Amino acid sequence: MKTKFAVVVLALLAVVPGRSLLAGDSAEPSRPTGPSRASALLPAAPATDACCAVAPAAKGAAPCCDELPAAAPLAARSLYQLDAKWTDDAGKAVTLTSLRGQPVVVAMFFASCEYACPVLVSDLQRLRAALPAAVREQTRFVLVSFDVGRDTSAVLAAYRAKFPLDAGWTLLRGAATDVQDLAMLLGVKYKQDARGQFAHSNLITVLNSGGEIAHQHPGLLGDIAEAAKAVVGVAQRAPFIAKER
Amino acid sequence: MWRSPQTSTSSRDSERLAKISGSLFKPMFSRHHHLSAAFALTLAVSAIAGRADHTVPSAPAGMVVIPAGNYAPLIRTKDEPPSVPVAAYYLDERAVTNAEFLDFVRAHPKWQRSRVSPLFADVGYLAHWASDAELGPFAPAAAPVVRVSWFAARAYATWTGKRLPTTAEWERTAAAGFTSTNGATEPGFPAYALVWFSKPTPDTLPSVGLGRPNFYGARDLLSLVWEWVDDFNTAMVSGESRGDTGLERTLFCGAGAAGARDLTNYPAFMRAGLRSSLRASYVVPNVGFRCAQSVSP
Repeated sequence: MKTKFAVVVLALLAVVPGRSLLAGDSAEPSRPTGPSRASALLPAAPATDACCAVAPAAKGAAPCCDELPAAAPLAARSLYQLDAKWTDDAGKAVTLTSLRGQPVVVAMFFASCEYACPVLVSDLQRLRAALPAAVREQTRFVLVSFDVGRDTSAVLAAYRAKFPLDAGWTLLRGAATDVQDLAMLLGVKYKQDARGQFAHSNLITVLNSGGEIAHQHPGLLGDIAEAAKAVVGVAQRAPFIAKER
Repeated sequence: MWRSPQTSTSSRDSERLAKISGSLFKPMFSRHHHLSAAFALTLAVSAIAGRADHTVPSAPAGMVVIPAGNYAPLIRTKDEPPSVPVAAYYLDERAVTNAEFLDFVRAHPKWQRSRVSPLFADVGYLAHWASDAELGPFAPAAAPVVRVSWFAARAYATWTGKRLPTTAEWERTAAAGFTSTNGATEPGFPAYALVWFSKPTPDTLPSVGLGRPNFYGARDLLSLVWEWVDDFNTAMVSGESRGDTGLERTLFCGAGAAGARDLTNYPAFMRAGLRSSLRASYVVPNVGFRCAQSVSP
């Protein structure tokens, strides 16, 4: 099962330019930590880090990379320690660790939500539009569903099409306990009522390139300037964090 | 290293919470100590009488069975039904002890004090233990384990093949009196349930299982420590999605309490309030847990 999963991840990553380094990590599913060279994943890394932005095979030719450990452990408060297996709207397996190395904006929702979630997603779109183009390019927007019963990959795909949400967005579904874990870590409260609808917190969370919470924006229709600033800050800081490791 | 404002404050919140809740109760230890033997017989009798329902199998060792029934949430919105059905379940007769939790961390070193991820347990996790795998004088073997996060409690429950009880399950069990399923109508019981809140937490907690068993046979629910429930993070969420997290800040003003089922149930308010202020990584000196299991169909 694990082997099969790793292959799926490899296939997924193969189509994402500049992310092939992740494959080396995915081939070792027994190791919970993420890929070693977050800096290599950043398309806009400054010149001092540029020598690290090469394949592991070329490691010897890049002395400045030698100080980096072979497999940098995740930060102590990285949400990517959750080793759950998620599924995206294309039916592909995704781990949170695969999001490492870029700013991530995450929110929890459910597809049949008629009230808050469309507003929440539009808030996220507003946030995305407010980002400088270069930052927007490298920032991933992730929506995770509460509705483990009804939100299949097909339902999530339809949700993506309806808005529409482009390739910068990842829509995820997972097992009930994994959804609960993530909600606990984000501080999102949710409860399913008798009709199957979910009452829930509306919370936008900005994660840094290591998967740590950098900023949280509660509520709907608020001023997203602070959140946008946080994403930009994370994007600027990302190479530094990568180098630190 | 980048640290989030959200997580860096959580340890302080834990401490503050501990101070607040710690001043609220003290177990009725001495009173129950000498009564426990007498009630053991009562328990045996009531266990036979109370569990005569042959549709529910007998409980596993150390657990009591709570037959299917209804739970009336303390706080609900106008759209929610006044009571929700709860399937039959098993609940640990008593809270998990230090000795039992020590077995767990020995089997799973990643849950030992020095190794646990700060993501899953705040600073102060098992701080009253002598070391990673040594209880010491402040953590008697038979006392309830406290200073454990929700993540740690759930990991323990999973390790034993059980789970944490839901809020509905826990509250339904705790609503029982000594002789009936509804303690609120039992003479003297509501007053008994309040005593605990008036005394501070002792420095060293007494042993589990000394409290008088309630109607179902569960002990110490209202007199030893507060307890984690699986879905504690559903507290303070109404049926109205448009009311965002701001709801949590307003629910305990007058308007919030107006939706409550029973305004006289002070302990239930306290528990709801505590749950709404917890986060899953918090470790609190008087919050422990017990496990539950579903009754297989």
